[in-house]
Amino acid sequence: MRFPPTSFPRLSGTWRRARRWLWQGGLLLAAAGTVRATPVADEGWRDLASYLFHDAHEVFLRASTGSERGRVLGAAASLLNDSPVTADKVAEAEAQLRGLLADSAADEPAICARYLLARIAHLHRPAEIAEVEADYRAVIAAAPTHPLAQLAAGKLALVLLYQRPDLGVPARLAAAAELAPMAGAPQLPETGCAYYRALAGAALYYDVLDERVLAWLARADALETHDIVTATSLRLQLAEVARALGHREQALAYYRRFLATAVSTDNRYRTAAERMAELAKAAP
Amino acid sequence: MKRPKLRTWLVAGLLAGAYLYSAGRLLLRPGHAVVDSHVEVIRFAHWQIEPGVREAFNAIAADYMALHPNVRVEQMDIPGRAWKQWLRTGLIGGTAPDLIEIASYENPDDMLARYFTPITAYLEEPNPYNAAEPDLRGVSWRQSYAAELVPNEFQHYFSLNLLEYYGAPSAVVTVRVFYNRQLVTAALGADRPPATFDEFIALCEALARRAEVTHQPMSPLAGSAYNLTQLTDGLFNAASQRDALAMDISRDLEMTRHEALINYVRGRWSLTTPDVRAGLQTVESFGRYMAPGWSQLNREDAMLQFLQGRAAMLATGTWDAGGILRQADFPVGAFRMPAFRPGDPKYGRGMLGPVSEANTFATMSFGLTRTSRHPERAIDFLRFLTSRQSNAKFSRISTWLPVIKGVPVPAGSAAFRPVENGYVGGINIRFLGSRANEVLLQHLYLLSGQGASADAYIAGTRRLYDQINREELARLARVNLATLRQKDSVLVGTFQLERDAGLAHGKFDRLAANQLTVEAERLQTLRTLADYSLGK
Repeated sequence: MRFPPTSFPRLSGTWRRARRWLWQGGLLLAAAGTVRATPVADEGWRDLASYLFHDAHEVFLRASTGSERGRVLGAAASLLNDSPVTADKVAEAEAQLRGLLADSAADEPAICARYLLARIAHLHRPAEIAEVEADYRAVIAAAPTHPLAQLAAGKLALVLLYQRPDLGVPARLAAAAELAPMAGAPQLPETGCAYYRALAGAALYYDVLDERVLAWLARADALETHDIVTATSLRLQLAEVARALGHREQALAYYRRFLATAVSTDNRYRTAAERMAELAKAAP
Repeated sequence: MKRPKLRTWLVAGLLAGAYLYSAGRLLLRPGHAVVDSHVEVIRFAHWQIEPGVREAFNAIAADYMALHPNVRVEQMDIPGRAWKQWLRTGLIGGTAPDLIEIASYENPDDMLARYFTPITAYLEEPNPYNAAEPDLRGVSWRQSYAAELVPNEFQHYFSLNLLEYYGAPSAVVTVRVFYNRQLVTAALGADRPPATFDEFIALCEALARRAEVTHQPMSPLAGSAYNLTQLTDGLFNAASQRDALAMDISRDLEMTRHEALINYVRGRWSLTTPDVRAGLQTVESFGRYMAPGWSQLNREDAMLQFLQGRAAMLATGTWDAGGILRQADFPVGAFRMPAFRPGDPKYGRGMLGPVSEANTFATMSFGLTRTSRHPERAIDFLRFLTSRQSNAKFSRISTWLPVIKGVPVPAGSAAFRPVENGYVGGINIRFLGSRANEVLLQHLYLLSGQGASADAYIAGTRRLYDQINREELARLARVNLATLRQKDSVLVGTFQLERDAGLAHGKFDRLAANQLTVEAERLQTLRTLADYSLGK
């Protein structure tokens, strides 16, 4: 790291030269100040993204440059998990986030704040399920195309699948599946894939095994996750569900895809190969 | 008045003497200067003090230093008992070495995030030290590993929360039964390791008979709960493979711990499930051959029994192989605990075949500390350490199994080679949680000795399992809640960093997907606990 000179050169004695140095130094300092605005904010977000909540909180508290609303959002988001997490800190973060929603603001910090408030209601307080559901729906309604709306739709689907007290299994699955256009959107393919897998997973948990499960898994697969573990497991799920539903050819194709893409050290490799061979031998 | 004065002088003299002695030692010590600005010093630390490991690392470090004369590589082997304190002090004090062995149980996510540098990007680049290997030249460092470092439930090199690689492993370990070839030959008339479970029981019986006839104080199996569980893990897994597939909720051919617990609480299996009971019966059948008093002994005692010839066999991980082979004054053999045949009327009804050991124990992963003064150099050494050539050398000297593609298993370690062409495992009642492990260890005595009985074990622990498996599910839900909350904040930070660069398939997207999956698992757990209360 280079430091600016702390004194003028001895032989540059004239006022004119000194003034030029001062001017140049001033320009340098001003430029440094401008450049620093982003790194300070970035440092906070980077700390937050790295689970360093306390460090992030301190950065956001002392930051004097950048967007004030962004700073408040960062401070609230980091305070939420600043160890030790206490009810007081959560309440304070909640109050700061509500402040970002004042005057019906609809900018990025407001969208993030609304999402975090829904999460606080769901995971921290916890609120009545009806309130949690309403909060998620509010996030979606406020900015339907925003990535956080997709996240909210996925979370809402889980509430419907497992928490709504008044729904039976068929209604749970149907209500959660209705969120597909948003929760399964390709703007966040990995998240969309997880949503479809969660739908299929819930159905299987409730011992529902029908064509919808296969379709959900197929849609998850179509989103082409880059996660090798998810991708290989998905192919096996598709093969096993297709097999259980009597779709022999489809099942064989999925087994083949699994065997072609999985590393040979996958513990399931031989089991899958033998199940495929067994199915291939069976009369169509 | 005089006595205290003399004592004071004595103490002062001793202190001064100690100081002068230390200073003299430091000044006159042979070797490298304490600080040499022209030399890059790379220090790496681990807790593998088993014989052979240190020598292997030293040999590889010497090769590296010969290649890079301006680099000094220093090995720090810290005993396991002191490791935790040493690690925390070094990390917090900023004095940690450049590379440190990491394990998920020693390095929680917050520690990884704060003190270690993710090495994901490095792992996706080719390893230059494999440039002379035609088949590895074009592949990434990660793909040069035999199992390509695909994350699984029990690995140490990848953080499932942080979604980053933090370590590069150096070895694979398996569990084997080491045996005294002289004693086995004397008992059987031939050095013939058992190929089937029945042969293993017959061998135990033959050894016990011989000890009785010759009045030799020798047990067939060296004892300690640790060693016994090395055997039970494989047997429990083998006996219930079909059950695991039948109860696999997600239908991806693997019943996870979460699914096993959910299924237990839903009443879909229990200790009386025939194949689970069969697993316990396998222990009943050989538990009587353990050394007397084994339940009070620890791992080191068992090792000593074996090395002194007071026990003919010892079940342990191949991490102990170097120590055993160097210290035993008798020829040692090793075999994988043979499972019963699939379809065996007593034990094999739920069995598919040998349980796969592939990608199970890639270990000795070194992580890069954030305080490293020469991070690029440290990564370079790590690449060298895990190149095909160095990994072969490491394996040869340490007897630990290689982890890089194409590295031959040394002749002496052939018996340790993992079973790669095996089947998925079944239900292991020990792996359901730490309390489940404790319950097994506390009640293993019911499966040993002359009165060994699986049914006694079941009767004595059934209610306990009902309770602890529910508690474990509740605990997992609590743990998941904590990580879900954290991820909300992390997602906000990641979103701000990535939103302009495109989010699809990026870290934000992957993190959100991971959070959704964990949250689904948690809510499934809570649904199960609500719907299936005890006694319902």
